[in-house]
Amino acid sequence: MTHPRADVVVDARGLEPPEPMVRTMEALDHLEPAGKLLVLLPREPFPLYRALEINGFSWQTEHQADGTVTVLIEHRRQ
Amino acid sequence: MQALLSFDQAPPISAPFRFFLTAPVFALLAGLLLLASGPQLLASRWTPAALALTHLITVGFMLQVMLGALIQILPVVAGANIAQPLRVAILVHALLVPGALLLVVGLLLSDTLALRLAAVTLGLGVAIFLAAAGRALWGVPSGNPTILGLKLALLGLTITTGLGIVLALALGGSFALPLLQLTTIHFAWGFVGWSTILLAAVSLVVVPMFQMTPPYPHWFARLFFWSVLVVLAGWSTAHFLEWQQPADVLASGMLLLLTVFAALTLHLQRHSKRARFDATQRYWRLAMLSALAASTLSLISLLLPEAAASRQLPLLWGVLVLFGSLMSVSTGMLYKIVPFLVWLHLQNAGGGRILAPNMQQVIAKRQIDHQFHAHVAALALLLAAALQPDWFTYPAAVALLVASGWLLRNLLAATAFYRQHRQRIVNLARATPAPRPG
Repeated sequence: MTHPRADVVVDARGLEPPEPMVRTMEALDHLEPAGKLLVLLPREPFPLYRALEINGFSWQTEHQADGTVTVLIEHRRQ
Repeated sequence: MQALLSFDQAPPISAPFRFFLTAPVFALLAGLLLLASGPQLLASRWTPAALALTHLITVGFMLQVMLGALIQILPVVAGANIAQPLRVAILVHALLVPGALLLVVGLLLSDTLALRLAAVTLGLGVAIFLAAAGRALWGVPSGNPTILGLKLALLGLTITTGLGIVLALALGGSFALPLLQLTTIHFAWGFVGWSTILLAAVSLVVVPMFQMTPPYPHWFARLFFWSVLVVLAGWSTAHFLEWQQPADVLASGMLLLLTVFAALTLHLQRHSKRARFDATQRYWRLAMLSALAASTLSLISLLLPEAAASRQLPLLWGVLVLFGSLMSVSTGMLYKIVPFLVWLHLQNAGGGRILAPNMQQVIAKRQIDHQFHAHVAALALLLAAALQPDWFTYPAAVALLVASGWLLRNLLAATAFYRQHRQRIVNLARATPAPRPG
């Protein structure tokens, strides 16, 4: 799956916890320094934000009309 | 997975676990009380032993699970972080345990001093929790229905506890009040204003997430919480002022709302993507079916006042609500929350370099299944005991002891699993150098 804004997309809708978190983390492990990861989720992932902050990522969250929450993640610029 | 997965916002595992491990001990005490009191306990719902038993379940078991779960859930579902969660947990737990015991002793022996001490201790424990949770939720906008539900549930807990304190002091002879009416209003706020609103708020998130169902419909999420609160407040006023007809109409409205929630949850469960129901789903189904049965009995009592005056009907209703509904749903939640927390904290302990074991290994499925069957047997026997106390009270008490003991065993097994793997993971993580950034 590709997305105009992202290099990697993780569609975690329909997965049981902790799978969405695990897959996001795995994808971030392999993210290129200038790469962008888009995560599709059924709800807002509050625990993810804290983990992203600690680990030096920035993110943008958008709520789609169908209830999907998209989080676009990239390495924080120093 | 390398440098990630450090969720430092998660409260230490001992914060919620102290509540979860205490809860089944209160259920065991409930079984012992039933065994010691025998069929006399079920002579009416107003016997001192029946009141004590009710509070072992509600203040002993339920409150422990609900507050422990909220300390854990608030940051995850609402992004509302309780400041110093471990300190709050230690303090609240240290007040709730003696408070619940004093309340039970006070009710059992009609002991004025115990009741007064219980009012102070429980009041303080709940107030500290409310202050901490309220502060965490204060700045979070209520646009999301779950967050609105959580806020209203805290209001429900405040009113339930406030009325409980007034009743405990009144029973202790401090002042004269219309006790029967206030007791019914206290119960309605505890069951509907606190437990049901909290359950529905949490369900909006956890039912689709853990049971792989479609989401609750928007109309339900948008309308349910305020509707329940407004109808409950209206009913409380009418009941207190003895306006019989409006009170009956509003009580029917309340029953309708509860029925919609239970039926909708069962409907969503039928569309679960999981081929075979797991223990949590079976517990929730049992809880929702019990809630529907309790609603039907309530409707019968509204339509046929002579049935409501019978000994059996209120007891059957109490068993369905307290054990069939509330204890079932809490136990089902525990079987998701506890393994998830064990996994999460083991993952953190590994510093992202050592993977935690699979969540399914934390409590053996076979043990959960056995405990579920013991729980169903206890429910059936408790219902039978409500109808025929002479025959079934002792078997029901034994079944309750077995089911609660098994739950405690399963939760202790999860704790042992955590301790064992944590040590291993910490040692391994020390031996594995952290990857260099970049």
